[in-house]
Amino acid sequence: MGFIRPTWWPGRERNPASAARLDAVAQLREERARRWRESAAADALQGSLISLAAVLGTEVRDSADELVGRLRDVVVHWSTAAAYPPATAIVVRSGRRDVLIGASWIEASAPASVRLRSAAAYARTVERRPGEVALAHDVLDRQVVDKGGTQLVRPSDVYLAAVDGRIDLIGIEVGPRALLRRIGPGRLRRHVRPERVIDWATIRSFSPARPDEVRPHRHPSALAGQTGAVLELDVAAAELRELGASDIEAALRSADEKEGDGSS
Amino acid sequence: MSALDTPNAPASTPAARLPHWLKRVLGFLAILGPGLIAANAGNDAGGILTYASAGAQFGCRTLFLMVLITVALIVVQEMCSRLGAYTGEGLGALIREQFPLRSGASAMVLLFVANAGLTVSEFAGVGASMEIFGVSRYIAVPLALIAIWAVTVLGSYSRAERVFLVMGLVFLAYPVSAFLGHPHTGAVLSNLLWPHFLHSKAFLLLSVALIGTTITPYMQFYLTSAVVDKGVTPKSYGGERIDTINGAILSDVISVFIIIATAAAIGGTGPLSSAAQAASALRPVAGAAAEQLFAVGLLGASLLAASVVPLSTAYAIAETAGVERSLSRKLREAPFFYGLFSAQLAIGAAVALLPGNAVELVVNAQVLNGFITPVLLTYILILANRRSVLGDAANGPRFRALAAVCVAIVGALSAVVLLQTVVGWL
Repeated sequence: MGFIRPTWWPGRERNPASAARLDAVAQLREERARRWRESAAADALQGSLISLAAVLGTEVRDSADELVGRLRDVVVHWSTAAAYPPATAIVVRSGRRDVLIGASWIEASAPASVRLRSAAAYARTVERRPGEVALAHDVLDRQVVDKGGTQLVRPSDVYLAAVDGRIDLIGIEVGPRALLRRIGPGRLRRHVRPERVIDWATIRSFSPARPDEVRPHRHPSALAGQTGAVLELDVAAAELRELGASDIEAALRSADEKEGDGSS
Repeated sequence: MSALDTPNAPASTPAARLPHWLKRVLGFLAILGPGLIAANAGNDAGGILTYASAGAQFGCRTLFLMVLITVALIVVQEMCSRLGAYTGEGLGALIREQFPLRSGASAMVLLFVANAGLTVSEFAGVGASMEIFGVSRYIAVPLALIAIWAVTVLGSYSRAERVFLVMGLVFLAYPVSAFLGHPHTGAVLSNLLWPHFLHSKAFLLLSVALIGTTITPYMQFYLTSAVVDKGVTPKSYGGERIDTINGAILSDVISVFIIIATAAAIGGTGPLSSAAQAASALRPVAGAAAEQLFAVGLLGASLLAASVVPLSTAYAIAETAGVERSLSRKLREAPFFYGLFSAQLAIGAAVALLPGNAVELVVNAQVLNGFITPVLLTYILILANRRSVLGDAANGPRFRALAAVCVAIVGALSAVVLLQTVVGWL
């Protein structure tokens, strides 16, 4: 018996405890790799995500670099047809009044810049049309509840993305870092990095908290939407899956490709 | 329906056999709730000390000021409960939705710190009052902590409300103390109906302290959130409005009795420095009974405020964050809300038991209240004026003017006391 059979070789463990340890190490490695991927995806997204919190209040200029006004709101048309609804207009504070400028006149770039395509744009008075959601007024900082009505969180930011000439609403940020970004110094606001994003597609309905009881006062420049407006999710809190940065990237890429197929 | 419309009759139980007067009493008791609790919590340990000090230093001269404060308190509390009933949101939620994030967030941080200081002083009040009965504070404070936590966290809103209301009953000890002290009736009435103010720095500072202790930020946060938590709607607001106004009047009547009681016993002897001194000041007039009554009152006051102050913090911050906040939820359904409440309660009790001057240091956090009050009252006024928030229930022009005057005066005086404390001005 000159040959001694080895008791261990790579891949086969001597006892169950060390096998479990190796499993745990593998899991940790996987987790770290996943985090690294997410972090890389988040870095990549910095060039394509538009943060509503950062873009609100910024100057809107036309193609001749003339100041039009300051951005007050972004309006999207919300229908079940599109998972990521496109922006239809922006509300700009021009002088002492708010005007609505259609999305076809504007171009946006990440992380926080909106300007007009031409030197002249058709502006109309602000009014609420059915199916429209004013993001700063109706979504940012409003109450999000789950399917069962449990109060979950308030969105600290809303992410949009410029996709093939359109501006699509991607999701709402509910992470605490986005909140700190808004509270902290202004230049930090442009450092957009998704943290905990709820897919807009999981939002089922949008309603004032007490539709019948508070009668809104009609004011020409007020977009409707009462205090206590509530965003209701399609899922229960326990089943809620937040989008990672890589999910957002994949969604953006698929939207891009679909758009490419459609136009060719 | 205007803001000052006639309220609906409160829903009473179908009890036709009861005598008329009893039905009226029961109907009145049925609408007691957030308004009375919030206003009563304003008569906390610090409040009792301030009122007693006013009586000891200036006799009945501050009584007319208390009448004016009551008007301001009614105006502010009415706006708060109206905001809660019509929007279904607490002040924390409304501030997050209606004002810039930065100012709202800084208000919340200040509220948290100021309320932490107040919680410590409430537990110190519990300890001090039980020591008059010969119970060590190291036994009394932990027991109080457990009792408050159990009532608030393990029960529902309605059960907690009932316990809070019963705690408030202890305040009836003060009118008893006042009558045992045989005050001079003529002087009391003339001071209530006509100002007898003094032109002195001490009087001004005490006036500011009286306002600061009667109209406090945590009361407004608690009231608005409790109205929401109770489920008051615009339809049932009439009864809530009566509760709010009654609560403000009742709690200030008790404050007035504290001032009268101390004025009758030791009026004109100078400022007081501790609650125990206030209690012993009643001894020469009413014997040992007055001191016991004073201790019972202080205990009830401290227990009630020690529940309401951390609750107001938890409501405000959970609303700002948008997470579940309701006393009717179970511990597991609202972990953040109950966690904040428990943490502030536990820290308050722990610091109150620390030996040495830790208590005094923390009580200085009350100065922060002087900083928040003007800001918060301005927020409340703006919110209650906005038709986009309250619709047709927004402040009418006359109420708006009255409220603006109240807010301006209270705000200016709070700023004075803040400057005086921080910079040593005046």
